[in-house]
Amino acid sequence: MSETASAIGADDPTKATKRVKAQFASRNMRVLPYALALPIVLYEAALIIYPIAQGIYGSFQQIELAANQPPTWVGFANYQRMLSDPGFWQVIQTTVIFTVLVILVALSAGLMTALLFNRPFRFRAIARALLMLPWAFPDVPVAMIFLWILSPQFGIMNVPARLLPGVKENVQWLQIPELAMAWIVLITSWKAFPFYSLVILAALQAVPQELYEAAKVDGATPLQLFRYVTLPGIRTTLELLVVLASIFSFKQFTFIFLMTGGGPSGATETIVMRIYNTAFRFYDYSYATAIGVAGFLVSLMIAFVFIIQQARRAREAA
Amino acid sequence: MATLAQPRYTRPRTGQVIGKIALYLTVFGVSLLTIFPVYWMLVSTLQPNKYTMRYPPPFFPQEIDVKPFAALFTEHPLALWIRNSFLIASMAMLVCLALSVMGAYALSGLRWKGKNLFGLFLLVTQMLPEILIIIPIYIIYRGLGLLDSLPPLSFVDAAFALPICIWILKNVFDSVPPECLDAAVVDGANELSVLWQIVLPLALPGLVAVAVVSFFSAWNEYLFAVILLSSGNLQPASVGLTTLRSIADTPIEQYMAAGTIFSILPVIFYLSMQRYIISGLTAGAVKG
Repeated sequence: MSETASAIGADDPTKATKRVKAQFASRNMRVLPYALALPIVLYEAALIIYPIAQGIYGSFQQIELAANQPPTWVGFANYQRMLSDPGFWQVIQTTVIFTVLVILVALSAGLMTALLFNRPFRFRAIARALLMLPWAFPDVPVAMIFLWILSPQFGIMNVPARLLPGVKENVQWLQIPELAMAWIVLITSWKAFPFYSLVILAALQAVPQELYEAAKVDGATPLQLFRYVTLPGIRTTLELLVVLASIFSFKQFTFIFLMTGGGPSGATETIVMRIYNTAFRFYDYSYATAIGVAGFLVSLMIAFVFIIQQARRAREAA
Repeated sequence: MATLAQPRYTRPRTGQVIGKIALYLTVFGVSLLTIFPVYWMLVSTLQPNKYTMRYPPPFFPQEIDVKPFAALFTEHPLALWIRNSFLIASMAMLVCLALSVMGAYALSGLRWKGKNLFGLFLLVTQMLPEILIIIPIYIIYRGLGLLDSLPPLSFVDAAFALPICIWILKNVFDSVPPECLDAAVVDGANELSVLWQIVLPLALPGLVAVAVVSFFSAWNEYLFAVILLSSGNLQPASVGLTTLRSIADTPIEQYMAAGTIFSILPVIFYLSMQRYIISGLTAGAVKG
């Protein structure tokens, strides 16, 4: 505050600074931030933190909602069941595969389009506006459109597919496990990559032009330019985006739910999908909350990595 | 000095021409990839389904017909769904506007112990998947008799949108020139009137961005709505759209028309406020 305060009155800086300091040190000033932050903390605590605490508590109980019985304490029974359930480990594996694939596909698409849009060309502004369209589109209609595009009867995706040798009839896109996973990854990435592209583009434009000039004078090839100038310049941004992408794909529910429901035969059932199915298809609330606690631990771990990253960035910037 | 040896004009080398062509082809390919699904939704909406429902479907629309839009309102309760979405989204927006002004001012203009902790708290809540609270919140709401009611649903939606709204507004507050604040303080204004009379008017675009994000994240929201509401006449449009699919006789052009109507507002508003929204999504870590 002090260095900014001195900018006010060039005629009498010291006096103005003193008055500002006096004002900002007033008693109101000390209470105000807490009064502003408290309602937010209470609001988030009531609607997010408290339910999560309830969920952790509930994972040690047997909950029978339909029978209207009070929950009974069962200790670690739900967790024992979870750890010995091969289905649970299957779901973990599916979640890891899905998350890693989305990070790879969405970030490489984001990186490549950002490199593309970093070059000057005609109609760049229009192409950039079009690029953001998937990002701005709501999830539910996106799922609807792709279900229609991939329809085995009339889906237009069959037109290019049938040009391939060996494809004689329309494809059951979402009925074949590997294809279903591929499409869920592609659609999640389609929706996400414009955001990554824009953030990477901003980082690219911050790489000093002189570095490129200097490297070119030294005879660097385009590939070397990318490896030794571009990549180091955007490394921290890419690291941040890997974490954001893993959060984003870990949370993904709507596409999977509306397009495959986790199927065929569990091929696209991530933790999030399994929690939903266990609770709202099989009405096994207690077991679902235990899986939820496992999911909570995973998100905390990702959040922890993000916070460490942020702290490191802040230190580097200082 | 190698540059001096070059002639002043060189015909573009074949390599450069091929490079240019490759560049434009790639741009075209990328653009096609991003807009094709949206294009196909519009084509399937506007073209009578005798063209769409045949294989292979024509790539360009053969005939234009806007009747599906009208049919949606007469044959399906689309108006009711949109009204419900509108109510849920407006309530979430009001909550987020009020609370994010407070949170952003505390994070931006003021100095206090616990500020970093508060920021950390917001970051962590922002990262938690919605599914983690859906079972407990369902059980809690059930106990309190809050299921099947619009305001409790919009409060949950607001809780998930709030951290991003606070970051968006904090970034905008940060950009208010400090001289303005200091001048006002020297004139004897207290901190709250500085916020009210100086910061807020300057931060108007940020407030619009907060309104857009909170309104449309509740508008687009699906999971909470499908679990916390059960009666059909409270359904928002996001849930209503998916019920159209289970009604087997909904013609595809009506189904796609409903998707178009649902998407048009969020797309326009998100695109026009994208700069602010992206700065909030990266929590200020990257300058968008």
